[in-house]
Amino acid sequence: MADQHDGTSGPESGRRLGEIDRRNLLKLLGAGVLGAGAAGLASDSASASPSTFRTMRSSRLSAAGSSTIKIGYITPRTGALAGFSESDPFILGKIRATTQFAKGLKIGGKHYSVSIKVVDSQSTSNRASQVAQQLALSTKVDLILTSSAPETTNPVAAAAQQYHVPCLATVVPWESWYAGLGGDPLKPTKSYEYCTVFFFGLPQFAGCFLPMWDRIQKETKADKVFAGMYPNDADGNAFRDGFPPFAEAAGYKFVTGGAFTDGTTTYSSMIENFKSHNCAFFSNCPLPPTFNTFWKQAITQDYKPVLATVAKVLLFASTVKALGNLATNIATDAWWSPFAPHKSSLTGQTGQELAIEWQNSTGNIWWQSLGSSYSLFEVAVEAFNSVSTPHDHSEVASALHKVNYTGMCGPIDFAKGPAPGVGIIEPVGIQWKSGGKVFGKKFPWVPEIVDNSLNKETKITGDLVVGSY
Amino acid sequence: MEWVNAIVQGILTGGFYALFACGLSLMFGVMGIINLAHGDLAIIAAYVAIALIPTTHLPMVWAFVVIVPIFAVGGYVIQRTLLQASLDRSPFTTLLVTFGLSVIIENVLLEVFTANGQSITIGTLITKSFAVNSTITISYFSLTVLGVAIVVLGGIQLFLSRTSTGRLIRAVADDREAAQLVGANYRHVFGIAAAIAFATVALAGLSYGTLTEFVPTSGVTTLLFAFESVVIGGIGNVWGTLVGGVVLGVSQQIGAQINPAYQILAGNLVFLAVLAIRPRGLFGMRTA
Repeated sequence: MADQHDGTSGPESGRRLGEIDRRNLLKLLGAGVLGAGAAGLASDSASASPSTFRTMRSSRLSAAGSSTIKIGYITPRTGALAGFSESDPFILGKIRATTQFAKGLKIGGKHYSVSIKVVDSQSTSNRASQVAQQLALSTKVDLILTSSAPETTNPVAAAAQQYHVPCLATVVPWESWYAGLGGDPLKPTKSYEYCTVFFFGLPQFAGCFLPMWDRIQKETKADKVFAGMYPNDADGNAFRDGFPPFAEAAGYKFVTGGAFTDGTTTYSSMIENFKSHNCAFFSNCPLPPTFNTFWKQAITQDYKPVLATVAKVLLFASTVKALGNLATNIATDAWWSPFAPHKSSLTGQTGQELAIEWQNSTGNIWWQSLGSSYSLFEVAVEAFNSVSTPHDHSEVASALHKVNYTGMCGPIDFAKGPAPGVGIIEPVGIQWKSGGKVFGKKFPWVPEIVDNSLNKETKITGDLVVGSY
Repeated sequence: MEWVNAIVQGILTGGFYALFACGLSLMFGVMGIINLAHGDLAIIAAYVAIALIPTTHLPMVWAFVVIVPIFAVGGYVIQRTLLQASLDRSPFTTLLVTFGLSVIIENVLLEVFTANGQSITIGTLITKSFAVNSTITISYFSLTVLGVAIVVLGGIQLFLSRTSTGRLIRAVADDREAAQLVGANYRHVFGIAAAIAFATVALAGLSYGTLTEFVPTSGVTTLLFAFESVVIGGIGNVWGTLVGGVVLGVSQQIGAQINPAYQILAGNLVFLAVLAIRPRGLFGMRTA
């Protein structure tokens, strides 16, 4: 080890200097000045080990003798995508209280305790990649779980594949995840040994949104033309390539908003373009601030589609609040809701019970991430239970590829998926309404389930109505 | 007609950029401080509005009236203490100090307000507009921001050229030692300039918070546009900043009209062109 360290200390210090970009310096200074408060946010920012061949190899078997299973959990706790992870503390609390995690797992006749290391990706790819590398090389985790948008999940998956650590992702369209690993979603034959994902993809987005468009189109006789506002990022590019063919097959004409940059301040040309083509339907997948700006300007310029089905934004009550009344009747997808008859594979608790407990403990309305984050840990337990030693990365990874179970998100079969290591869950369509009661409590904004074309088990809770903004 | 619309919307956006940039321009022109915390200060103003409105039940307009003077006072105090102390050491120290300030602000905001996106709501006013013709629609709010930018920048220009304090600020900016020789208390003068700069930052932050959704780290992205406006217009020139903002806004919109992918790029290209051809900016008179 000593030789190895000497051999790398030169390039390492060079790298360190180069790596102190603005963001890192921010975190370092922040930690120093604010002490304990900011230190939590800034944890782990300082050290990134170099990726020498030797450390890579050794990480595969490093923790061989340990009786602790280490799980890394990377989500965007802060930054633009923080809404996705708002339910993390609650879910981690629930997971840590289950027998499997509190008492440990018995694998191959040996008892293992389980520890979860939670890390923040700060909603940026650089940071996500850096912390994934640390978990693989320094913390030497046995499994990395990651969630919530390609900005986090894709660099984490890529790092996991590189360092041969099993990885399970969710809340990312599988095409975007697969493309992020270097695969071609149109010919999804290549298997990425260490990486798995459960979520849905563009066929499910289309299967969720198009029935809603059809219903509204029948009612209003609106033009069958749709506006596609897809930014120049992983999600946006996947959508621009993958979504319009489904809509066009259903008879809708596509008007593109172009590959614009996230964070643009004025969208008037795009809006004018949508208006002049009479785009009655609207589809997108931007970052939350982008949509907020766009939507205000669209209403100002009198572009009012009869139905807007958005992806990636307005998924959570906290993000709806920022848009205020302009969010009324905007539709989106829900990958999990408490209105399906699914229950935990760890404790048997139902989705509805989980949502009510969340509601009582936080005062918030049900959150889609509750189910997906919960299922990450369910799948982890399924995989660990079918291996002989949890420290054999290659065995755990291949177990993940074979998981077929039913839990909080319903049935997931990783072997069946559209691509190797992809499990599909079926979303439902929701529409935001102001003011309503859920499980006996009043909320200012309620996501009503308005369409269950893909997921018939989920109960409809509200009517699909024409947008009025 | 789409091109006319692009230019009109660009001018409106430019007003916002100019409002955001004028405090930056003033701080640099007078004190020689490149305030890297400029964007973050604006975000503080937006968060203060978010915190203030529900607790005090003040209508939004009154929040503007309260927050701007608070910022002016804060600007004076920070200039006389932290910024002056770092100026006394070296210009590089001010760069580091404002950078540190930026870090602290972002992290404190994260701790207090979390990373959830927020937006200042002013009811239906935000989407009210009037149509000039079938393609050109002008938002009242954007027009107000442009108006505020013109009034603020014009006010600063008048203040600098017509009042004795304004003349003092210019004198200190031109030659600090000479101004001191004739008895000017340059520290106080710097404080006043910072007070004005901070007041305009508050206005910019409030309009930003109303126009879009912000998180504690939003300041950094907007700071770039402010810098570009200042550099295009000419450092230290007040009207130049307005023109700089408008040039940036219009070039972005023209870029977007060609292809939405070129919006940000077009602005950056114009910025680079100005740097290459007229490094002092369109209206830069002197080396600051």
